[in-house]
Amino acid sequence: MKAMKTHFLTRAAVIAALYATLTIIFAPISYGQIQIRVSEALTVLAYFEPTAILGLYVGCLIANIWGQLGPLDVFFGSFLTLIAACLTWAIGRLFLKSSQKTYIYKGSLLGLLPPVLVNAFGVAFILKIVLGLPYWITVLYVGVGQTIAIYVLGYPLLIVLLKRKVLSEEEGAR
Amino acid sequence: MKTFSRLTIGQYYPGESFIHRADPRLKIVLLLSILVTLFILSNFLGFFYLFLFFLVAIVVAKIPFSWILRGLRPLIYIILFTLIIHFFFTAGEPIARFGPFVVTEEGFKNGLLLSVRFILLVVGASLLTFTTSPIELTDGIEYLLTPLKRIKVPAHELAMMMTIALRFIPTLLLETDRIMKAQISRGADFESRNLLRRAKNLISLLVPLFIGVFRRADELALAMESRCYRGGEGRTRLRVLTMRGKDWMAGMATILFLLSAIYIGRL
Repeated sequence: MKAMKTHFLTRAAVIAALYATLTIIFAPISYGQIQIRVSEALTVLAYFEPTAILGLYVGCLIANIWGQLGPLDVFFGSFLTLIAACLTWAIGRLFLKSSQKTYIYKGSLLGLLPPVLVNAFGVAFILKIVLGLPYWITVLYVGVGQTIAIYVLGYPLLIVLLKRKVLSEEEGAR
Repeated sequence: MKTFSRLTIGQYYPGESFIHRADPRLKIVLLLSILVTLFILSNFLGFFYLFLFFLVAIVVAKIPFSWILRGLRPLIYIILFTLIIHFFFTAGEPIARFGPFVVTEEGFKNGLLLSVRFILLVVGASLLTFTTSPIELTDGIEYLLTPLKRIKVPAHELAMMMTIALRFIPTLLLETDRIMKAQISRGADFESRNLLRRAKNLISLLVPLFIGVFRRADELALAMESRCYRGGEGRTRLRVLTMRGKDWMAGMATILFLLSAIYIGRL
């Protein structure tokens, strides 16, 4: 493996730290009955920021290690986040060549689907295997929490970030 | 507005016990074996054996029982839900009746079995996080992932990211607190009952956080490069992990115990 660029590594690391921090701060609603993880809003970063893919994975790993739900969440939960982030990134690439407006509004709307769907179906599957919970109820239950975190919180955030070019401006300065 | 100054990060319970000082790699491997065992076991006798094992480990590590119970508290709802689903919605021989609901023998047994297994899973995992500091854990994970480098898993980079992230969590907690207070003084409302308004206000927190965080990341990269950081190749370590004789013995004993638990628990 070719050595990763140092700034790639540090950026991914701070995204991980941010994910873990937000999970810790907003713990009351992230581990309760309905799982609204405010930090899941960060999954939108994968739409335009490649370092976010690994960052979200590591962040989820750290958050889950202390997230009480135990080892299953650590192995499978984080893995689901990784898959979702890769898909979001891929969708972002697809829309990159289309017009600015499509990229910012329509593309991101579609790009945010993977973190909702992958988690809803994946987590429900894990819970079915481990606790024998009914599949579709759990899909709905996880899906609602994820939809709120990602479309109510994440989507506006993504639009602000893309419109103001918050991160790409810094890219240009380097 | 709560401040984050008293927030504890992670679950590490500092101590000097034998389990605390054991090699983190050993602890991770043993935890994995325990998890596999838990999924193989299919009766209460086996679970009881593992329960005794955990009990001994908790006493040896001198972890207060209140800590263990506190770790289980967030799981009450999911366990209750599991019990209800299994008790009332499994077909089989009825043993009790609550109005229109019938509890079946199979449902009762299944629900209890799955819940007990789940609780043991969580207690087992928290035994690792209670007795191993985050940094040791990261070192252990890096070492165990090293063989996967052949299939291009960036083991060193992942561990480095975890280390940096762990170091930044307290900093970011402070920074989040600071930005929240600054935005509150400008009229932001982070505790509104209206979900949409709350979400909108959170954006005023997240955007400055992002900008600050990325600036830190780039500064850190510069600092690392100027100190000649070139990735994992040929890097030496401050703490070298060593398996002591005692660790090997404890590992062997645990594996033997697990095998006997499987023998009994499958009957």
